[in-house]
Amino acid sequence: MKLVYRILLHLTWVLTLLLAGWAALFYFTLIDEVNDEVDHALEARAEVIVKRVLAGRELPEASADGNTGYFLHEVSSEYARGRARERYTDEEIYIPERDDEEPARVLRQTFRDADNRWYELTVMTPSFEKEDLLEAIFYGILYLYLFLLLTVLLVTVVVLNRTMRPLYALLRWLDEYRIGTSNAPLEVETSVTEFRRLNEAAKRYAARAESSFERQKQFIGNASHEMQTPLAVCRNRLEMLVDDPQGLSEEQLGEIAKVQHTLDYLVRLNRSLLLLSKIDNGQFPETEEVDLGTLFRRSGEDLGEIYAYREMRFVMEEQAPLRVQMNPSLAGSLVANLVKNAFVHGARGGEVSVRISPRGFEVANTAAEGPLDAAHIFDRFYQGSRKKGSTGLGLAIVDAVCRLYDLQIVYAFRDGRHTFTVNFPK
Amino acid sequence: MKILIVEDEPSLREIMVRTLTREQYVVEQAADYASASDKIAAYDYDCILLDIMLPDGSGLRLLEELKKRRNRAGVIIISARDSLDDKIEGLELGADDYLPKPFHLAELSARIRSVLRRHQRDGYECLEAGNVRLWPDSRRVEVDGRPLDLLRKEYDILHYFMARPNHTVDKAALAEGVWGDHIDQVDNFDFVYAQMKNLRRKLHDAGADIEIRAVYGFGYKLIRP
Repeated sequence: MKLVYRILLHLTWVLTLLLAGWAALFYFTLIDEVNDEVDHALEARAEVIVKRVLAGRELPEASADGNTGYFLHEVSSEYARGRARERYTDEEIYIPERDDEEPARVLRQTFRDADNRWYELTVMTPSFEKEDLLEAIFYGILYLYLFLLLTVLLVTVVVLNRTMRPLYALLRWLDEYRIGTSNAPLEVETSVTEFRRLNEAAKRYAARAESSFERQKQFIGNASHEMQTPLAVCRNRLEMLVDDPQGLSEEQLGEIAKVQHTLDYLVRLNRSLLLLSKIDNGQFPETEEVDLGTLFRRSGEDLGEIYAYREMRFVMEEQAPLRVQMNPSLAGSLVANLVKNAFVHGARGGEVSVRISPRGFEVANTAAEGPLDAAHIFDRFYQGSRKKGSTGLGLAIVDAVCRLYDLQIVYAFRDGRHTFTVNFPK
Repeated sequence: MKILIVEDEPSLREIMVRTLTREQYVVEQAADYASASDKIAAYDYDCILLDIMLPDGSGLRLLEELKKRRNRAGVIIISARDSLDDKIEGLELGADDYLPKPFHLAELSARIRSVLRRHQRDGYECLEAGNVRLWPDSRRVEVDGRPLDLLRKEYDILHYFMARPNHTVDKAALAEGVWGDHIDQVDNFDFVYAQMKNLRRKLHDAGADIEIRAVYGFGYKLIRP
């Protein structure tokens, strides 16, 4: 969820509660105030009438007229004693002139004259419709609420965009950051302390990652170089033993052959690591036009011959020639590793197919098992099923070459086939 | 034939000295830049094997020195770095070949022979073993003066062995030498046997007096009469 939506959501909750509470308070305060005023007026009118009754003077004409009307009748002392002297109520009063009921504020007051007779006086005054008021307040509050919400939205968006600009710039920079490549410098002008610290932390961590990546690359390169001479010594001493004219027994030769094959594996592993570290170090700057179709055809023929015992067919479909600017030896590595991978891991008796289009190529093979773990197949030394003599670096080299030339490589499992698709940027 | 080995690793130097001595070369050795420089100044060599990473200087400087002295020795650079830059720079400075470590001894002697041949016969190259002659430039083979037709891989195998006579070659090394680097996950060498069978039959039918003999459990060896 974007920050602006999150802030807005919280503000919406708070505003809803606040305005609802405020609306209730406003409504009751208003009603209270109005009743107070009306009650005062009613009390004054009642007082005039009561005084006239007690003084025995002439009373105004009693009528049911809502505005000034009053009723006066005698009540029993039990009735009077059982009630408060003054009682205010909100009632619906029938207005004969209009033949309708209208809301009114009513005061009922009991009193006693000199002859100890009890009277009840009822005075009333028309009041307003409470529902109308409620509705008016509700709509007022609703409009205010929407208006506030809109204002808050606009202010939030503007303020966030203004003040958070350094944050978004930093996020963009982090998104585009790739370790081991030339990255644009982080240029964010800000006076906000938190953002400055964030930027500095980001730069610091990027530098740290960069330097450890560099050290790792150098370490792999150096370690591989250091191993070349001892490997040469081991290999050559065994060869001297084999070339010895004195002759060795067949059994001894067999043992030496096994040691040599293990040594060959080490040599290949070392060579692959060196190749990877050289690709990562950008030590293949020279490029020329390479015809990938020719490379694939040659690779397919050679490997088809080598893996003839696995009885696999090699099928090639060249929709259009694909000529690209690449380092020829890296192009060879890319092609050979993908095709070899297909032959080695394909199902025995299956098919290895290469399809070349003007924009890229696709290498597929009939799968022996289910889909591979797409997240890890390009990792160094990752092997779904360990194959004898496999270095586990073939696809890592493919990936490194693709990264070097900004090629997009995708693995997919379709119709029981492992498919690697490489697309060249236009 | 006199060969100078410039290599700082004593064990590897000893192996190279022993192997080349066995092949009837006169071998001298130098462990560092200074002694190599002295030896080059004092003597003439037919071939120099040069490690370019020496404790007291780069072998590439030695190449410059040789160039200045107009020394005609053939030079094979031996490097642990297998870097294209070194290779290009070395070849531009007049080296004849570049051999990355770790190498096969058979490969080393094949390269030495090739360099020596080029220097002596001014580029005219022909490999000879018994009554079989092979011209790498034109991929031509003759047995007793009569041309022999070979398929591409058969020719490659024969070339591989004729450049390495009397070396026992591991079948994996042969496969890698002829088929390239792709054979790392092969656990079945039928494709080598098949080609080898055809090649041996053709050589036999043509009356060649050399033989590529199988060394059981290991590989093959070219036997000259």
